[in-house]
Amino acid sequence: MIRIDHVAKCFAAARGRSVQAVADVHLHAPDGCITGLLGPNGAGKTTTLRMLAGLITPDAGRLEVDGLDVATQPRAALARMGVLADARGLSLRLSARENIVYYGRLQGLSRDAAHARADALAESLDLKPLMERRTDGFSQGERMKTALARALVHDPANIVLDEPTNGLDVLATRALREVLRHLRSPAGGGKCIVFSTHIMQEVERLCDSVSVVAHGRTVASGTVGELLAQTGEQDFEEAFVKLAFAEEIGRPASLGTAA
Amino acid sequence: MSGLSLLAIVLRKELADALRDRRTLIVVLVSSVLLGPLLLVALSGLIATLEAQAEKREVVVSGIEHAPALRNFIERQSYAVTPAPADYEAKLRSQKLGDPVLVIPPGFEAALVRGEQPVLQVVSDTGNKAAEAGAGRVQRLLAAYMRERSALSLALRGVSPQLLEPMQVEEHDLASAQGRAAQLTGMLPFFVIMAVVYGALNAALDTTAGERERGSLEPLLANPAPRWALVGGKWGAVFALAMLIAVLCCLSFLPAQWLLRSDTLQAMFQFGWVEALRFIAVLLPLAAALSAVLMAVAIRCKTFKEAQANSTVVVLAASLLPLMTLFNQGGEAWWHAWVPGLAQFTLMTRVLKGEALAAQPIAISLGVCSVLTVVSVVFVARHLRAAAVR
Repeated sequence: MIRIDHVAKCFAAARGRSVQAVADVHLHAPDGCITGLLGPNGAGKTTTLRMLAGLITPDAGRLEVDGLDVATQPRAALARMGVLADARGLSLRLSARENIVYYGRLQGLSRDAAHARADALAESLDLKPLMERRTDGFSQGERMKTALARALVHDPANIVLDEPTNGLDVLATRALREVLRHLRSPAGGGKCIVFSTHIMQEVERLCDSVSVVAHGRTVASGTVGELLAQTGEQDFEEAFVKLAFAEEIGRPASLGTAA
Repeated sequence: MSGLSLLAIVLRKELADALRDRRTLIVVLVSSVLLGPLLLVALSGLIATLEAQAEKREVVVSGIEHAPALRNFIERQSYAVTPAPADYEAKLRSQKLGDPVLVIPPGFEAALVRGEQPVLQVVSDTGNKAAEAGAGRVQRLLAAYMRERSALSLALRGVSPQLLEPMQVEEHDLASAQGRAAQLTGMLPFFVIMAVVYGALNAALDTTAGERERGSLEPLLANPAPRWALVGGKWGAVFALAMLIAVLCCLSFLPAQWLLRSDTLQAMFQFGWVEALRFIAVLLPLAAALSAVLMAVAIRCKTFKEAQANSTVVVLAASLLPLMTLFNQGGEAWWHAWVPGLAQFTLMTRVLKGEALAAQPIAISLGVCSVLTVVSVVFVARHLRAAAVR
């Protein structure tokens, strides 16, 4: 379970100015659900997820992973999370297996346990033929799968993915969707999955609930159906544009939150 | 899992990673490990040529037929007289002739007997090092001839030749054999320090700026490992690589001395296992500090290329500081021990001279390097989080 409570973050920019990257984002992601963090580019999604991973200290608000406060127990919180960050670089001179086992060891697994997990993940992510190859020559999709396996190596109860479909082709995106659905199901461990994206189709196809973020604020949250009902639209894209770009299209952002 | 075992995991991974970068390793090995011995061998070749020149008992003379008595003297000194080629001036200029030419004018012998102070010329070219080196030999030979002639003249008049030499001069060189050799082998520590720098450089940049550029620093920090363990492991790997190259460089001088062509240099250049081990001991703190400083410089850089440009300052400082000893003719100053690089250079020079290593400069350089290492590693650990997200 992941809970983000009204976090805010302001960055110092050049010449004494500052940028309010996140003003007020909140999100509740229960176990066994896929929760989408939907917003246009620059809405503050990556900053929010970086605060969740303890990489940035929020100015205000609170982030919790399974009841553990990220601010006071960052390492315990990280141990319960698998994070596929915006940057998902691999060690290019190591094989896929070595990359995965390295993170397993850093998560505290024994050598044997880390190798066993790497084998299991290779099976479920269809990585088997790549495991002993150096990651240098991998395609985008292969890199993403390796990075995902690396993030999941300690079998975390909470999974955080920052725009995981970026740069993936349609088949790789479909495969990823299947993997996430499996991880959500009781057979896959009933994980709590938080998934940031700017693509509404992905949210429609995958997410149990959505939090729409614009200009650093959560402007709406609920299931896709609830958001459609709230905006009175049939098409989710129209609903999203209404919610996220209220200011730009000249309508008051007085829609509140549904959930 | 304890922080130390996490540190060991990071260290092993970074070492494996760096050792797989074969191309870089080979370049470093060739430039740092082979270059020193190669230069040493080349230098020994040069010295051997000079020695052969000095020992060559041969004088090139133009017009020896005008001075039969001088010829007799030269041959009595067991020197051979070789007639000079007709175009000796051109050959000296173009360095084709490696000996100075003694030019005897016609009527020399008769003028000498009459006491007319005939003029002899020793023709050489300052641009021709070999001929220049031989000029002193010819001058000394002529001086000896003059002494002999004047001694004979004085003896004929019943004057003791000792009147001409009212005193005797003896030379004593205080330098030991190793001390003399250190003048020639003084560049060795320079190469060893460069080996440490280049051993550390690539790994230090790759584990910091390279990690940022690849986008693998942010995911690394999503692991629940303490930052000091991550940075400590990375630093340990860089340090180990720097020392690996330094050890290889020191050991490469052991076989190099078998290849020395100059017997004198071989006799004077004593670089055995003891010296190699002392070198390594002196280099340990320097390698530790350099690794940490290079990482601290690179962690602020977004790309490997930017880090390379920034680290030039450190590389230049490490390579130019030893040159201070060349400019500083007053010998070792007290502050040399406080400057990393310079301190190690001074200590290694002492090892080469066969002098005992004093405890104080070793303790000072150890202290300075330790402080520098700790400060830099802490700096990297503090900047790691900010570097990951920017």
